[in-house]
Amino acid sequence: MASTTFRRTGKRATLTAKATIPRRRFEVGLLVISNIATIVAFLLAKFGLDQSYSPTLDPYVVAIVLLPYFGHLANRISAPDTDPAILPVAALLNGIGFVMIDRLDPTEAHLQVLWTALGIGLYSLTLFLVKNSDTLDRFRYLLVMVGIGLVLSPLVPGLGENINGERLWIHFGPLSFQPVEAAKLLLALFFASYLTEKGELLKRLSIRHIASIGSTLRSFGPLGAAWAIAMVLMAVERDVGFALLIFSTFVVTVWLATSNKTFLGLGTVLFVIGAYIASKLFAQVNERFTIWLDPWKYAQGIGYQIVQAQYAFGTGGYSGTGLGQGHPSLIPVVTSDFIFAAIGEELGLLGTTAILFAFLVIIGAGLRAAMRARSQFSSLVAASFTLTFGLQTFFIISGVIRILPLTGVTLPFVAYGGSSLVANYVLIAILARISHEGNDARHFGPQPPIQTK
Amino acid sequence: MQKRIFTLAVFFLIAFSLLFLQLNNLQVLQAQKLSNANGNNNQITKEFSLPRGAILTADGKVIADTVSAKNVYHYQREYPYGSLYGDVTGFDSIIYGRSGLEASYNSYLQGSLAPPNSISSLFSTKYQTDSVVTTINSTLQETAAKALGSLYGAVVAIDPKTGSILALYSAPSFDPNPLSSPSGSVETAAWKLYNLGTYPPLLDLATSRSFPPGSTFKIVTSSAVYDHDPAIATQSFPVESVTKLPQTTLTLHNYAYEACGGTLPVLLQVSCDTGFANIGLELGASNLAQEAAAFGFNAVPPLDVPGAAASYFPPASFFSQNLPQLAYSAIGQGNDSATPLQMALVASAIANHGVIETPHLMSEIVNYQNQVIRRYQPHPWKIATSAQTAAKVTSLMEGVVNGGTAQGIALPGVKIAAKTGTAQTNLSSGSTATGRDDNWMVAFAPAQNPQIAVAVVVPQQPGLSPNPTGAQYAGPVVKAMLAAALGVG
Repeated sequence: MASTTFRRTGKRATLTAKATIPRRRFEVGLLVISNIATIVAFLLAKFGLDQSYSPTLDPYVVAIVLLPYFGHLANRISAPDTDPAILPVAALLNGIGFVMIDRLDPTEAHLQVLWTALGIGLYSLTLFLVKNSDTLDRFRYLLVMVGIGLVLSPLVPGLGENINGERLWIHFGPLSFQPVEAAKLLLALFFASYLTEKGELLKRLSIRHIASIGSTLRSFGPLGAAWAIAMVLMAVERDVGFALLIFSTFVVTVWLATSNKTFLGLGTVLFVIGAYIASKLFAQVNERFTIWLDPWKYAQGIGYQIVQAQYAFGTGGYSGTGLGQGHPSLIPVVTSDFIFAAIGEELGLLGTTAILFAFLVIIGAGLRAAMRARSQFSSLVAASFTLTFGLQTFFIISGVIRILPLTGVTLPFVAYGGSSLVANYVLIAILARISHEGNDARHFGPQPPIQTK
Repeated sequence: MQKRIFTLAVFFLIAFSLLFLQLNNLQVLQAQKLSNANGNNNQITKEFSLPRGAILTADGKVIADTVSAKNVYHYQREYPYGSLYGDVTGFDSIIYGRSGLEASYNSYLQGSLAPPNSISSLFSTKYQTDSVVTTINSTLQETAAKALGSLYGAVVAIDPKTGSILALYSAPSFDPNPLSSPSGSVETAAWKLYNLGTYPPLLDLATSRSFPPGSTFKIVTSSAVYDHDPAIATQSFPVESVTKLPQTTLTLHNYAYEACGGTLPVLLQVSCDTGFANIGLELGASNLAQEAAAFGFNAVPPLDVPGAAASYFPPASFFSQNLPQLAYSAIGQGNDSATPLQMALVASAIANHGVIETPHLMSEIVNYQNQVIRRYQPHPWKIATSAQTAAKVTSLMEGVVNGGTAQGIALPGVKIAAKTGTAQTNLSSGSTATGRDDNWMVAFAPAQNPQIAVAVVVPQQPGLSPNPTGAQYAGPVVKAMLAAALGVG
């Protein structure tokens, strides 16, 4: 914070009025387009499934279409200058995801609508509560403690539960929640906060200094701590995906804050070591590697799911089988981990490419917000959140199409899963806040450079 | 830091380009390979998500049909009569594929897209299917199942003039419903269950499994006499209970050591083993092997469902150094083995002036508009023997019912030609008290204008009497079949 200064001039009132209205109007336009896409997809899927469609008003599809407008209202009231693309594109992904889930498992789709309502609610609430992104900087240690607590919470007896050999869920009565989805946000906030202050110290560090500098432990401590959290995730909860996600977010954020490439190299080495040890120690992790290298050999066993997903992509081809006309239900747990394969089958390369572009739009908007952010802290937060969001998307899609081993994180906004949906709505709320601040700040004068030494 | 954020943006562009490239690889370059891959159930799932034509009996009963259902495929194959027609229809399984008529006429049963005939039909996908009408007579099929009761065995009834199969039943039978279930676990459980036991239900005893034909084979031996060495027909063989075999000290004895002998009509009437053993030895290996081949042995009957097995008669060369085996083979023992279908074809040959018509289950194929698009045209499979020989053997076989071993199946006002068979499956023991016999009877009626030829086997199984015979176990089934077919009794 100390290293960043901003000049402000008092021209806000006149300029805001001009710029604000088109942005929000544009957002409504984009929302309408995303609505049309969702509704058309929904009708096509119904028709594809039943070969006929009786026009009844499905309250769930009405809800999924209308809910984003509450987010739009929150934007209008609380963040009128925010990027107009973020919310509509998220709504589009959410809508297409809903159509796919509804076509595969209507019960899950109905729950997904409830989670969407909660997600949009928390999006609005976040915008109202966090009026200034810099306030988040104040709760650094509270954030990290809650974050670590969330990571460890599934280990508490009676609270956690094993699902598919992974212990990453907690239960409150009938509700289950994947706490690591929330933890990833809190930890990213903490990294940004910590690095904004300690960035200078870490900047000068390199492998050469380990022996000569006495405070090695203190300096590399955070890196070690992040590595430890990742290892706990991997070793005890068998959650390779989030371990990789949290650790890589941290390492890249350090580099963003310090431009010190040592951390990138060191981080990569540490993770490779960790992953190697884990694959030797835990069958679950080892299995992921085995079926990544040659799934065909295990097509009827541990590789069944991934092989069926490859078939789904092949069956889809260029243009897909058409919504409701494919058989993605042949892939086990298709609505959560493998929703992208279902899209590949029924919407083809055209559909998967469109989804990739939609994610790129959100990533682009996030990085744009990071570039224009008002402070070093908020810039780092925006970059780090976008990084987490983008990497999560990249990891899961890579896993499904076999670029990387399967990590089992969810596809943001698209996959079935309440924790992921809610966490990602909060994530884009913070991005929206920082984007608003950046766009708003411009009205005070020429774009303020973010100084980094 | 702006520079590094820009680097990050470039990184994401590269990373997502990588995703895009791999998606092109999967969905374009490898698409064909992946979508046609062996383990890709998409194609088969698609097939199971289409309507499918019905299978009907000759008298119009629907024995397989597809109905709408609330499952992933939206359709479900149903076999309303359960296990009664299992061996005829076969099953339509997602995991285990298809069998029976479901397999052989799949291209007709499977739905195909109907060409649009109106503007509104452009916006809907209508599938049309063809139905298979079988030659099976539901009354006879029900009679076969009922007559066998709790016995294991098989019944084959054929119209000798056309080769139409009127009944095809094998017990234990299987119910195709669970094997055609949309649930994989139901299919797997049924598959496991139906492959258990000495006579697994999925093995069709009527067409796929062969047994020593025993004395029913004497029909072929008798035909060989008229075809190759008619002098033997008038020869009288000595009355004896045991006969000496050449090249060995072994002897061959009659059933229960009864004494018998005389000319061919008498020998067949009482099923005299010693007499037929000597006939076989006099005929010679090549004549007998030739006759067996003419009747269809050592060839797979061209039945229009998969799985039919060839019956076996040893080649002539096998007997040159082993004449005792020729004596055994002449009475349907030794290495002889025959499926019930084969023995029904032997009866058909005699019934149809020496000609074996190709056996078949399909009568006609009807499209969705009820138009016949394919009709079975009868054609012969083999010329087993001459019409003259067939007539002579027919009268010999009438004698078997008329005071011979098959007199129990006599029906009022109908002349029946038949032959019993009791194949001892444990010859070496020399004992008759094992209860381990395969019990046969073949018959056709009316003898002069045959409507039906039947073969029934009740193979060795627990629960049979100590000295079972073909007349005792297969006889009542044959009688029930003839009575039902001719509407008498």
